[in-house]
Amino acid sequence: MRKAVEIINLVKKFGNFVAVDNLSLDIYEGEIFGLLGPNGSGKTTTLLTIATVYKPTSGDVRVFGYSVVRDGDMVRKLVGMAFQEPKALGIDKPYDLLMWHARMVGYSAGDAKKVVREVMDSLGLWEHRDKYFYQLSGGTRKKVEIAKVLIQRPRVAIFDEPTAQVDVISKHVLWDAIKELRKEGSTIIISTNDMFEAERVCERIAIIYRGRLRAVGTVQELKDSMPYGDVIELSVAGKDIDVSKVLEILNSFGRVSVNGSTFMVYVNRGEEKAIEIVDALRRRGITISRIMVKEPTLDDVFFYITGAKLKEE
Amino acid sequence: MNSLATALRQIFLLVQWDLTKILRRVIFVVMRATWFAVQVSVFGLALAYMVSARSLGLDTQAYYKFYLFGIYTSILFSITASRAYDIAEEFEEGIIEYHLSLPMNRKVLAIGRAVGGGIASTLFTLPMFATVVVLAQEFSIEAILISIIASLAFSIGIAGLVISITLSIKSGDATDILMGALDAILVRLSTVFYPAVVIKSIAPYYYSVIANPVSHLADLLRLFYSFEEFKALAIASPLALASYIVGLSIGFSFLAVYVVEKKLEGGGWR
Repeated sequence: MRKAVEIINLVKKFGNFVAVDNLSLDIYEGEIFGLLGPNGSGKTTTLLTIATVYKPTSGDVRVFGYSVVRDGDMVRKLVGMAFQEPKALGIDKPYDLLMWHARMVGYSAGDAKKVVREVMDSLGLWEHRDKYFYQLSGGTRKKVEIAKVLIQRPRVAIFDEPTAQVDVISKHVLWDAIKELRKEGSTIIISTNDMFEAERVCERIAIIYRGRLRAVGTVQELKDSMPYGDVIELSVAGKDIDVSKVLEILNSFGRVSVNGSTFMVYVNRGEEKAIEIVDALRRRGITISRIMVKEPTLDDVFFYITGAKLKEE
Repeated sequence: MNSLATALRQIFLLVQWDLTKILRRVIFVVMRATWFAVQVSVFGLALAYMVSARSLGLDTQAYYKFYLFGIYTSILFSITASRAYDIAEEFEEGIIEYHLSLPMNRKVLAIGRAVGGGIASTLFTLPMFATVVVLAQEFSIEAILISIIASLAFSIGIAGLVISITLSIKSGDATDILMGALDAILVRLSTVFYPAVVIKSIAPYYYSVIANPVSHLADLLRLFYSFEEFKALAIASPLALASYIVGLSIGFSFLAVYVVEKKLEGGGWR
């Protein structure tokens, strides 16, 4: 498969802070690729470097062979980006903004009118066309931002957290629109900290944490990569739980994460281990109110790889 | 040829961007227009009566005319310098990052914003320019056209300068302070209110005045209309003044190109 984007030993520093730390990654033509990581992990910095908005401190990014360092003009012809925060001024109106964008990315005046109408209709934006930007809801603003890329139809389309602040119904509309764009030939890169979005939309995912690449693969490959592939989730009964006592027992079975009175134990052969855990806790006088064995989620994979939760609880 | 056509179309769109966005500064422009009206109707006339212009070989009405072209230049400078606040706001709102991501050569982006800023500022001062022409009773079509072209070149240069400064310092507060100071100092250290011959005896002040772009445009406009009256007062010959304005326009536009192409990237706004 042909590489659409090739990130080569990318480093981006802001003063002493290293936002992206020696990142290398290949994204192939025609795929929907996800960058998964919590806020501040370096996803947006990476995307902005691909879009030539940031200059690499060292390393390079190549888009269909063109370097962001040397061939910025060519890269910008190939890449379109929907930013995490919609880029518009309060006095802008969606229709005017999108018409200007369409003309700027190369449409004639007549074609611009047509494509802007089509995209606004498809995202349910037409009724908002003459409102001021400051009058729009967060979700509608986000749709306007995404509409820019749908109008542009670039070879590489970048969406930075495309469905943040968007309601559930609109999320599906946007996901469908992004998939449709891929069908038309664009390579899609999405950054997200929403594991459901990553699982539902992305074909391959890179997990980024503290500026470094921690894992890359399909969702299934990432799940299969966990040596302790099962998760035992259990809750302990009672009001005053001695968490340290419970942890002391559970740690002897595998890696453990805690959320209130719920404990997650990452193990192999989950069903067998669950019985052993119940016995061990009972012997120490601890009563279990609920226990289940489940397949790991992407969040579990993320925790296993990075030791951190994807979203702060 | 195709890329040239694309570049020109994109410059046109950037000019359009600036023209629509200057509407945001409507209160600022109205304030400046009000200030201008008070200046020409009250202070200008009062000053003209106070100034003993005979020693300079001018009558009272001539000083008033001198003052009118000076005050117009200062207004044009202030409104163009106010582009800095727009650019600062655009950076804060992420618009600069959006522009940097567009399929556009960075030279085109810089030149488009400088030209756009210049055109928008010149257009917004046209009613004031028309007022000056009427009050000065100078209706030469050639002089009016050349004045507008010179004003536009001056405004493009100043827009290039403020774009370069604002995008280099990347700070809203620093932009406010710097542009406020620049506006106050450049207008006062110029021939807007005082002919160069009067201040020739104050050496440091005089050197600032003759280096100042505001002085050059003010004197050039005066010469376009009343060459014989003002040639003895101007800081340089018309050709030298015009060359300075053209150089200013090209020089600061290229400075903006350098900053946008080589130095500018997203983020880092303070």
